[in-house]
This record gives sequence, structure tokens and C-alpha cells, in this order.
Amino acid sequence: MSADASAAVRKPETGYLVTFAVLAVLTLAEIGVIYVPGIKHGLLVSALILLAVAKAGLVLLVFMHLSHERRGLKIGVLATFLLPALYAVVLIAEAMWRGSW
Amino acid sequence: MLWHRRPGPPAWSAARLPLPRLVPTANDSPPAAAPLALSPGSSHDASHGHAIEWPAERFVGRASALKLGMWLFLLSDAFSFSGLLISYGILRARAAVWHPPGEPEFGIGFTAGLTFLLICSSLSMVLGVSAARAGRKATGVAMLALTMLGGLLFLCGQAHEYFGIVGGHGLVGEGLRLGGSARATTFYVITSFHGAHVLTGVIILAVTLLRVLRTPESRGGIAARADAIESVGLFWHFVDLVWILVFTFVYLVPVAPGVGS
Repeated sequence: MSADASAAVRKPETGYLVTFAVLAVLTLAEIGVIYVPGIKHGLLVSALILLAVAKAGLVLLVFMHLSHERRGLKIGVLATFLLPALYAVVLIAEAMWRGSW
Repeated sequence: MLWHRRPGPPAWSAARLPLPRLVPTANDSPPAAAPLALSPGSSHDASHGHAIEWPAERFVGRASALKLGMWLFLLSDAFSFSGLLISYGILRARAAVWHPPGEPEFGIGFTAGLTFLLICSSLSMVLGVSAARAGRKATGVAMLALTMLGGLLFLCGQAHEYFGIVGGHGLVGEGLRLGGSARATTFYVITSFHGAHVLTGVIILAVTLLRVLRTPESRGGIAARADAIESVGLFWHFVDLVWILVFTFVYLVPVAPGVGS
């Protein structure tokens, strides 16, 4: 096993437990934010997306050990998630501009 | 290349990787008419009477071939899910009425519980990987079994959500039918596609667990399977990650007040 792979092995398990606790809190926050009275639609959607991205990032970096991988792999993985997100923004915005069917 | 080249040969070059080496065989002269008897990981250099012993594992940069292969598969799977979610977003954005009257609401609380269940199973999976690397067989096996249990409970929860297998009518019984509307169709396609991944993950975990149990300590025990367990873990965490996004965009956003209906 390479020294870099064993660095992932030596990562404290308490880090996983802390990450799990943060994920649980973020999930509760997601449920809670949709019941905030009077919250504006744009702010609500933005908050939900930010919370989801934060949770996904934690799973990627901590549970999947992406933070320990080489930069090339990190860039490849991030591009795989960022490019579809870019497509989504462009295509959904264009669909909204065109209006309903 | 986007990364800076470090001093010395690149990681994939022969100068850094363990090289195959010649090991003497029982007979120094090559057999005259004997067929080549190639065992896995070795080849016979007939001209010199030595077998070539290949290294057990080759690394590409930092990740093993197994881990890199799993990452490549996950990236392709990410594009599959992205296509489904983007098409869902486009259909929703252009729909004059997204939530037809008569269709039931999604159970946010119940699905939040399923989300938490998957997060728990991700925790048990990563603890299992950590135990496997450390050679702790009992802990590793227990964590793998817990992860499987989490996946099975998630699938049962999804079946209950669809069909109401433990009381209630389920979404199907309440009028949310595949093909009935864009909302219903995208919901079932996306969540069942994800459910198929969960089922696949449970099967892979079962196979991995069996292999771990059948690997004796004399052959390395659970530590010998650590790479495979970590690769399975990558797949399981990806399934959890996708569900985080599906839960947000399919379940939560439509419930928001003012979102097109």
C-alpha cells in the first residue's frame, strides 16, 4: 500500500462520525427550511440547492476519500458534477424563458 | 496536463512502478516440446529458461486500477443520473400545471427517514472500509452487514412508498401512476432507477461479504480484500450522494410554496 493510501487508512474514525452528524443536521435543516413561513421562492430553492451541494460535497470529500486523491482525479470528478450542473442551469433557464408547452 | 509535474519520473512510468523480474525455474533449459504453462501473473521466457514474475498490483498515480475503474464507472453513472434530473427540470420548468389535481403529495417525513437511513448506511460502509484496512475482520464484517441491512430497509421503504405494503395505499393506490402525468412518470423513473442501484449495491455487498468470510487469515483475511471493499464503498457512497440530490429536487423543491403547479 502506498504512503498516500495509508494516509486515508489513518484518518480518524471520529472524522467520519463528525461528518455523519453534520449530514444529519443538514438533512434536518433541509426539512426545516421548507416550512419557514413567508420565505420567498427563490431564496427557498437557493437554500435547498446549497444544502444539497454541501451534503454531496461532504460525502465526496470525506466518505469517498476524494480529498486524499491526486488532483487529476479530483478535477475529473468535479468536472463530472459541474458540467451537468451548468447544462441544467442553461437548459432549465432556457425552458423557463420559452414558457409552457 | 493540469497538474504540475513533480521532479522525477511520472507515477505511471516503469522507473516508479514495481518491475517484473526474472526468477529461476527448476530447469534452466527450456523444455523442448512442452507447452507453455502460464500461471496467472507469470509468463515463461522460453529463450532464457526463467519465468517472469509480474508485480501483484499496478498503481496508476495514487489509485489502484480497481479504484480508478470504479471511479470511471461512477462518473459515467453520474452522467446517466444527470440526464434524468436535467430532463426532469426541463419538463417541470415548461409545464403549465406540474401537479395535476387528484395526484397525491409525496411523503416528505417518511422520505426524510429513508434519506437518514442511507446516510447511516454510508457511515457503516466507511467504518467497514476503515476496519478492513486495519485488518479488523469482526468489525469489518459487522459494518458490511449493517450497510446491507440499511440498503434492504431502504428498498422496503421505497416499496412501501409505492404500494403501501405495510398499511396504506401507497402512491400508486392514491392515484400517482406511471404514465399518468409528467410528474408521476419522472418520479417513478428517477426513483426506481436509483432503487435499482441500491439493489445492485446490496448484491455487490453480499458477494463481497461472502468473499471476506471465505478468505482465511493465512491469506491476509479481510485486509486482503480491503481494496475491493473500498471500491464497493465508493459505489455505495455514490448511491447515497445521488439520493441526496434526488430527495432535494424531486421531493423538496415541488413542495415549496409558489413552485409551479
